Amino acid sequence: MSAPAPRTDPAPVRTRLPRWRVLSWQLIGLALILGVWWLVTDGLKLYPPYVFPSPSQVWTEISYGLWGTGPQDGKLLSAIGGSLRRVLTGYGIAVVLGALVGLLMGAWLPLRATLGAYLTGIQSVPSIAFVPFAILFFGLNERAVLFVVILEGFIPVALAVSGALLNVPPALRIAGRTLGARGLSMTTGVLLPAALPNVLTGLRTAWSFAWRALVGAELLISGVASIGEQLEVGRATANVALVLASIIIIGIIGGVFDALLRAVEGRVRRDYGLEVTQ
Amino acid sequence: MTRTHIRRVSALALALCLGGVSAQGATTVRLGYFPNLTHAPALSGLERGTFQKALGSKVKLDARSFVSGTTLTEAFAAGQIDLAYIGPGPAINAATRGMPLQIIAGASEAGAVLIARGDSAIRSYADLAGKRVAVPSLGNTQDISLRHILKEEGLKLQTDGGNVVVTPVAPADIAAAFAGKRVDATLVPEPWGALLQAQGHRMIGNEKTVWRGGRYPTTLLIVNTRFAQANPTLVANFLKAHADAVAYLGRSPAAARTLINAQLDRLTGQKVDVRALQRAMTRTRFTTALDLKALTEYAALNVEAGYARNVPDLRSFVNLGFKR
Repeated sequence: MSAPAPRTDPAPVRTRLPRWRVLSWQLIGLALILGVWWLVTDGLKLYPPYVFPSPSQVWTEISYGLWGTGPQDGKLLSAIGGSLRRVLTGYGIAVVLGALVGLLMGAWLPLRATLGAYLTGIQSVPSIAFVPFAILFFGLNERAVLFVVILEGFIPVALAVSGALLNVPPALRIAGRTLGARGLSMTTGVLLPAALPNVLTGLRTAWSFAWRALVGAELLISGVASIGEQLEVGRATANVALVLASIIIIGIIGGVFDALLRAVEGRVRRDYGLEVTQ
Repeated sequence: MTRTHIRRVSALALALCLGGVSAQGATTVRLGYFPNLTHAPALSGLERGTFQKALGSKVKLDARSFVSGTTLTEAFAAGQIDLAYIGPGPAINAATRGMPLQIIAGASEAGAVLIARGDSAIRSYADLAGKRVAVPSLGNTQDISLRHILKEEGLKLQTDGGNVVVTPVAPADIAAAFAGKRVDATLVPEPWGALLQAQGHRMIGNEKTVWRGGRYPTTLLIVNTRFAQANPTLVANFLKAHADAVAYLGRSPAAARTLINAQLDRLTGQKVDVRALQRAMTRTRFTTALDLKALTEYAALNVEAGYARNVPDLRSFVNLGFKR
């Protein structure tokens, strides 16, 4: 790294804080949330515990569910395992399927004009609306959950891939052609690498769609170890602490995966010179 | 904030805290129940006007039907239900979580049967291995019973590493779920069991083999504790009407069947065959009494099913001496 050159232009707007400062602010925020939560529940007792349980009650559910050793404990852990396996399977299929459909739509404009428009329409339908159909078609089982996850996951990927392909600067195409790229070699050697940053954004959107679709479908299709079922069990047995515990776990898992994908995306964007590191 | 503002806000907060229960005596009694034969005292009592008569002309009876104890418990937690017919499973769970409720009478016993799809190979409880079994709702009375049956048979749920899947389906929707082969069997309250049987499906376990030889509560009458404290007369009057409704079922079963059928048709859009209803009634016992020992054992099954960590002290929420 060379020393930064003296600036003559006005300093750019800061978009990034140092990592340790982000972390400390996040910790302060978490402490504040927990503090307010404790205050309205255990502190001031504004709500009865069966409506809004305290942080410690939710923590009890989490600890029993994750590392409890009783015969009925550890259910949240197996639920997380089941849900992760399901979402990763569905997401994996969705990405492959979405990439294929996106490539086809990018390559052939009539397909993009028709299918692309339909996919945008389907994308606006909340995933939960597909669950009754999935149940009738596949039955009350994992396949129905997977169907909804794949459906929700593949559309953003397909749209991102086809969109990214169309947005590849013409100069790159011309350069590629001059260097002898044709057909498949043009696609894999020039277009896809050029489209990668936008495709990655699509992959991240697809993740959040797939994860939300998963939890929604699991809520309605129980009987398989899943976080959605834990949420439903909590609801069914008036155990709001379990409901909140499930929601927190859903949020943490969704957030962690999003952060991972964001890191990959940021890395690629920096490598492509789209983002400047300070 | 001006002083008037503060006064207004605190008045509003106070009204919210009281949750519509006024010390002057309620003008509306909100009753919850399900469209099942095990709730026949509610069904016939409503159809005959028994409850409304007992409450008097100044009090409006607002009866709401629920699919299962789950939704009813939610309404109860939100302070939207004063009195309810509900199964022991949800009642125990709700009380365990600290909801202000008191069990004040029994309503029915037994009345739940295990039906297998006619074209399935299921002939006994043991055949449920690898099958998909429906219950009205997770954590409801039949779900808890089913989990106990499975345990007795040495079967394990898929969620616990076994191969039996328990899935919630509203009883009125089971016939469609059977037709679509989405489930293989169901533990349902009557008359849905008898109705499925009449459609050619097979009964695997009757009300006596489900648990305790049929000596177990299926429906109880509960009241919101704060409502009971504010309106003791109304609750006492309702209890009398409840006893009358139960007695009526024993006294004129044929007439009661017509009333029950009318309510079920209205609530679920399904007319139950008269003979099926007759059969269902022989499998259900209506009573105002409550077997406390059975209820305690039920609470233990609830723990066994993993829905609670300990058996609560029943004395804290069973109040069978509620009379005036």
